[in-house]
Formats: sequence, structure tokens, C-alpha cells
Amino acid sequence: MHATLLNLAILGYIAATGLSLAYLVQREEWIHRVASVATIAGWLLHTVALLARGIESGRPPLGSLPEAVSVAVWVVVLLALWVERQYRVKVLGAFVLPIVLVFSLKSTTTRALDLPGIEPALSGAWLWVHIGLVLLGIAAFVLNFAGALMYLLQERQLRAKRPGTLYYRLPALETLDRLTYRTLALGFPFLTTGLILGVLWAGPAWGSVFAFDPLALLSFVAWLIYAGTLAGRAAVGWHGRRAAYFAIVGFAALVLTLGAGLFLPGKHGS
Amino acid sequence: MALFVTGLSHKNAPVELRERLAVEEDKLRELLRDVAATGLVQEALILSTCNRVEVYGVAEAPGEARAVAFRHLCQHRGVSLGLVEPLLYTHLDQDAVRHAFRVAASLDSMMIGEPQILGQVKDAFALAQACETVGPHLHTLFAQAFAVAKKVRTETEIARHAVSVSFAAVELAKKIFTGLGGKAVLLVGAGKMSELAARHLVEQGAFPIYVTNRTWARAQELARALSGTAVPFDELETALAGVDIVVTSTGATEPVITREAVQRVTQGRRARPLFFIDIAVPRDVEGGVDTLDGVYRYDIDDLKQVVDANIRERLREAQRAEGLVEREIGKFVARQSDVEVIPTIVSLRERLEEIRTGEVRKTLARLPEASPETRQAIDALSTAIVNKILHTPITKLRESSRAGAHRSWLELVHELFGLGRK
Repeated sequence: MHATLLNLAILGYIAATGLSLAYLVQREEWIHRVASVATIAGWLLHTVALLARGIESGRPPLGSLPEAVSVAVWVVVLLALWVERQYRVKVLGAFVLPIVLVFSLKSTTTRALDLPGIEPALSGAWLWVHIGLVLLGIAAFVLNFAGALMYLLQERQLRAKRPGTLYYRLPALETLDRLTYRTLALGFPFLTTGLILGVLWAGPAWGSVFAFDPLALLSFVAWLIYAGTLAGRAAVGWHGRRAAYFAIVGFAALVLTLGAGLFLPGKHGS
Repeated sequence: MALFVTGLSHKNAPVELRERLAVEEDKLRELLRDVAATGLVQEALILSTCNRVEVYGVAEAPGEARAVAFRHLCQHRGVSLGLVEPLLYTHLDQDAVRHAFRVAASLDSMMIGEPQILGQVKDAFALAQACETVGPHLHTLFAQAFAVAKKVRTETEIARHAVSVSFAAVELAKKIFTGLGGKAVLLVGAGKMSELAARHLVEQGAFPIYVTNRTWARAQELARALSGTAVPFDELETALAGVDIVVTSTGATEPVITREAVQRVTQGRRARPLFFIDIAVPRDVEGGVDTLDGVYRYDIDDLKQVVDANIRERLREAQRAEGLVEREIGKFVARQSDVEVIPTIVSLRERLEEIRTGEVRKTLARLPEASPETRQAIDALSTAIVNKILHTPITKLRESSRAGAHRSWLELVHELFGLGRK
């Protein structure tokens, strides 16, 4: 039941990704409309799949990293739908959905391992809060990355002085800069609180937090990058290109973190 | 009866001839009445702009109608018909529909997507209506042409991207800033072109406007014209610090805004981008400024390059618009022939219904003891038979109309069922 729903949701995301990329080069409004419908349909199916999973297992569907990634994807799609309307960035899907797709495919292929036992020392409400907060942070950073990428592309177009397809499609630099700033300001507190809870909780349980867990170690690196960017923006007035580069480096660290969790053995892995 | 359009346009007729043929409004009324008075055309509309002179009409013999229309026009304008005749194009029926749609949608314009033409067609239509030379055919044609034009404007981008340097500059500004509302503008130098660009910026909500010029009086004059503030020329750098968009157009031979000056200024600006629109030749803003973070500079060549790209974009969009127009023509023609088929279908139904009710009445009269159930059953039976019989002919008629071959079918049906002349 849950697996079928999830596969259907992913099918929706695949369709939405293809259509969004097509819309980037082919200016037909109907493509965008169908892409939106596919995204929303995928997201609704995803919602039901997560609920089914939660009821099936009697706990939030955050028990393993693949499950948690699936929830993060769910939040990203919701956030992307909202940002698209709020900022009128119709091409956002082309930048966010491919990421969504990669992660949701990864999370389903790993799901086959089934429910891992959660270490008794770690169970409890704090665990869910830790995972939930980190996920919200990650979701915001996916959009932060997409905003930065669009900013750099539009900046290149403007500097080259030869307008291409992207010039006509992408919104104003100021809009994109504000989008990256807002998503950074939104994601950072979640990530910070989530990580602190993780350290406070896992520290006593594991002995040393960073000693054996690559994910914990890398997530700290990502956090440092984002902290630096936020400080630079707020205190020194970094903006535009520099802020965008940092957003991309930060996201790369975040992807490495999740990659480590999904592929390397460690306490977060399944 | 055929729909036709005949005329000449910027595509084939030189401007000297077009301007001699252009007709002003009161002359147009006279001309329309004269053409209608010949009795050769049932409906007529004349479109006269600086780029085209065209007569749209409905006539039994479009060839004659065209000759008459332009003979009158040439007489009115004192141009020899022999000069005009070889340049005239004529389109009939579906091709005339296509022409009307393309003209109204600005696909046949000299600058594709220019917005004036639709207004001109609407004026011509209103005038012909006032002269009572518009009948049902031209009415449906132009009502649809206006709808198609609107659809083309909203669904494609043929009219979206600027094709003038000053508008291109405004569009660029909108790709840098989220909106131009409340963005401060500084005009350096008081050229005509920079004034035009400034006016466009003001229309988009840019405020406040500062003007600086080596000649103080000229700065004040332009500032007044734009409801802005004049700034002394030696305070240029201070003014730079507080603005978002700078339009330069001085006659200076050396750059008046150097990279060092801009660098000093940007240090205090934080996240605010600075956009230079440099319309002066030689250029007023030093080349290297746009290597600075958040600083953008477009000179006149860059702007022309953007305009070229915009024109290419319009042409690409025009391709899509052509497809849209073709689809609309298909729908329009189908609807038109449906309109021609429907009266026949209605009279066919009426004819058979007449026979049916007559025969049912006769039968029931012979069966006085029949129960209400039996009467009802007989009625239902006859209705069912009629509907079954009619089903295929009606479907075939509709299909034939879509295929454009309905005229012979209509005649046949009228003959077979004795429906009377259509």
C-alpha cells in the first residue's frame, strides 16, 4: 500500500520534472500548467503514502534515514509550490524538481531494507524533534540552492549582454537574491536547533558524537558554511554573487552529508 | 457569395504610393458609400493606415468588386489605377479570413507585434458600422479577428520584448531590480534619448529623479520637466551613492564616471545593485566598472544587441502565433459552415416531424378504443423510427460541413426531401 502510493508519487514527480525542464526551453503555458498539476498530484500521493507509512508502523515516518529523506522531499515540494506563487518564479520547478527526484528515487531504493531497529537509548520525542528540525532546515536549503543557481545564471546572462532563453525566463536578480537570503534565514535556525538537539541527545548515548559517524561530522561542516554565509550577509552585507557561491558550497556539503548517511556505514545509516 | 480582401501593403507597395492612397476618415465614409452604392458588394470595410490600404468585403463576384473598389479609391486620390492594379493582392474565403486574423494580430506588420494596428482595424470596423456597410459576414469575421488578436497577445510574447533602445534599457532594469517603484534615478547629461529613457523609468514608478549637467541651467530645466531635482555637476559622486539607476548621455570625450569613483561609492551600498545605462558616444562610464560586484553597465551597442535579441525572440514567438492563427481559422471556418448546415437540419427535422404527427393522428383516429398506454406506445414508436432514420443523415451533413463539401450535400437533401429552396 505505502510502497505503491510512493511509487505513484514518484511517477508524478518524474512527469513534473520532465515538464518543468521542457518549459524552460519551450514557452508554452500549458506545459507549465500540466507540470503544476503533476507536482501537486505527486505531492498529494506522497502525503497519503507518508500517512499510510506512519499508521502502518505506529510512529512518525522518520525512523530511518531514507524515510527521513522522503519526508524532506515532501517538505521541499510543498515549500517550492509556495515559493513559486509567492515570488512568481515559474521556472522554479526546473531547478528544484530534479533534486527532489534524485532524493526520492534514492530514498525508495534504500527503503527495501525495511524498518531498522532504533537504538533504545535514542528513542523518544527528542529524536523525532531532532530529525524533524533538521529536515525542515534541509528543505529550506534546497530552495536556497535553487535560488542561488538561478541568481548565478541570470547574472551571467546580464553580464554577457547577450540575452538567451534563460534571460527571458528568470526573474530579476533582486528577487532571486532575496529568495536566497530568506531561505537561508529560514533554514538556519531549524538546522542549528536540530543539530544541537542531536548532539545533546546522541552525545551521552554514543560516547562521542563525531567519532564514528560521518554524517554528524559532515553536517557540522555544512552548518559552519551556512553560519558563515549568514554572518556575512547580516553583518558585512554580502550579497549577490558571493552569497550565491556560498549557498552552492553549503548545499554541496549538505548533499555529501546525506550521501554519507545513505551510502557509508555509520550510526545514522540503516 | 464570397468573402474577399484586396489591397496593398508595405510588403509590396513603396511608401510613396501608400501615402498617396491613404484616406482620411471623412473621405473614407464617402468612399465606403460609393463602393456600397454600386451594388456589387454586399458588405464592405476599408482599412487605411500608413502601411496598408485594404478593402474587405462580401460579393457575388469578388473580381468585379475589387476592380470597383480600387477604381473609386484611385479616383478619390487622383492616382492612376494602372499604377496600383499590378500591386494588388486578393484573398478569398479562407485566405481572406487568414489575412484578416494576421493583420489584426500584428503578424503582417512591418514591426511584428506592434500594438497600433489592432486599434486601427477596430477604428475601420467602427467606421464601416457607422456607414452601415457591415453585415453579418464582416461582423462575425472581425469580432473573431479581435478575439484572435487578443489571444495572440496574451498567449505568445510577440509584443512583450522591447524593440527600442530606451525600452530595452527599462526591461534590463527590471531584470536587475524586482520592481522599479521607488528606485532612484540619476541623469548625467541632458540628451533627448536619456530623457526618453528617464520618462519610461518614471512611468514604471522610479522615484526620485536627479539631474546633473555641466550647464546648470539645462540641468534645472530638465529636472523641472521630469519633476526631479537638479544636482551640481561636481557633486556627481555624492549623488551616485544614493541612486540605483544612472543614465548618462554627456558630450564629454573622456569618461565622466571612473571605475575608482564607482568602487568608492559601492563600498557603502551593500546589497544594492547599481545599473548604468550609458547612451553617450564616446561612452561616459569607464569600461571596467561592471567587473565590480553588483554593478551593471550597458552602453549603446549592448542595448542594440539586446534589441536584436528581442526582435529574434519576437520572430520566434510569431511562429507560434501563426500556428495559433491557423487553429483559429480552422475553428472559424467549421463554425461558419455549421451555421450554413443548421437551417437544413432544422427543416429536415420539422419535415419528418410533420409527417410523423400527421400519420399518428390518422392511425389513432382509426383506433378509438385504444388504451392510453397503446396510444403512448404508438407515439413513442414513431418518434424512435424518425430519430433512427435521421441520425445518419444529420451526422453526415455535419461531417461534410467540416470537410468543406457541404454545399452539394445541402442541395441533395433539399431535393430528396422536398424542403423547398434554400
